[in-house]
Amino acid sequence: MKKLVVFCFVTSICISLQAQKIYATKTGQVSFNASSPIEKIAGVNNQVDSKMVDKSGQIVFSILIKSFKFENQLMEDHFNENYLESTKFPKADFKGFITNIGTVDFTKDGKYPITVEGTLTIHGVSQKISSQGTLVMSKGKPAISGVFKIKIKEYGVTGLYIGDKIANEAEITIDCKYE
Amino acid sequence: MMKKKILLASILVLLISGISVWYYVFVYSKNHHREVANEKGITVAAREIVKEFQLNEKTANGKYLNKAVVVTGEVSDIKTDQAGQITVTLKSDDTFSNVFCTLKSGNLKPEIGKTIRVKGICNGFLSDVVLNEAILENTPQ
Repeated sequence: MKKLVVFCFVTSICISLQAQKIYATKTGQVSFNASSPIEKIAGVNNQVDSKMVDKSGQIVFSILIKSFKFENQLMEDHFNENYLESTKFPKADFKGFITNIGTVDFTKDGKYPITVEGTLTIHGVSQKISSQGTLVMSKGKPAISGVFKIKIKEYGVTGLYIGDKIANEAEITIDCKYE
Repeated sequence: MMKKKILLASILVLLISGISVWYYVFVYSKNHHREVANEKGITVAAREIVKEFQLNEKTANGKYLNKAVVVTGEVSDIKTDQAGQITVTLKSDDTFSNVFCTLKSGNLKPEIGKTIRVKGICNGFLSDVVLNEAILENTPQ
């Protein structure tokens, strides 16, 4: 009897371990927008690396600053050299959790509102952030989207035009389709 | 009379330089993007560049970051990203770390299993070495 209980316990652990799934993408999209009424300042990154675990809701985004492409080459150069200093700090990342992952049914197509909390590191400076977003399940594949704002100066990014030609707050848009 | 001429000339110079700056910042920079095809690239094998980044990311960044790089390797994966651009993965000796390239649109389509040469701008290292704005180059057989 005891053996049977242990057996059942071990099997159930194995099943639950197997049931955990990691979704990943290397081509997630993150956009950056710090436009002011004077000037459009926006870049898109199509090389975002992200992983997500369905059971725990753990989620990670890794970003290369140089992968942000701007319409204007000079703006892209300034973004890299004068503001984000991408030679010194080539990466940005976010590590955190979807706190209400229990409400997402990964087996059922649909739209689920999510809350994400964690640590965002840009320009070598880490800040705790929290944001609302949406997880869409479609044909068994999840996609995450969300928009949040960050205060540029909180990440140690300084520059002449912040608050003038460049907005104080940058809007970050996430759009990642996982496999 | 002389003074008037000098004044007129300086106004003209200021006007021309003003227009040139405006043109460079808002028109030229919008229409002229960095073109990897015009740059001389550092030639390296996919397995070597991955090894260099794994060994010492800082040193490798110093050597490759923001530079044009010509990487030779076997195509292990071809996909399309969310913007519709073709991406190619070049194999290294490590299954979990390869060279990931996003190709410029209008490029020839590569084939899985073939050894190719990709020229692109090195953006750094995540789990893979990442190349952007890449083009395919002819491989000498």
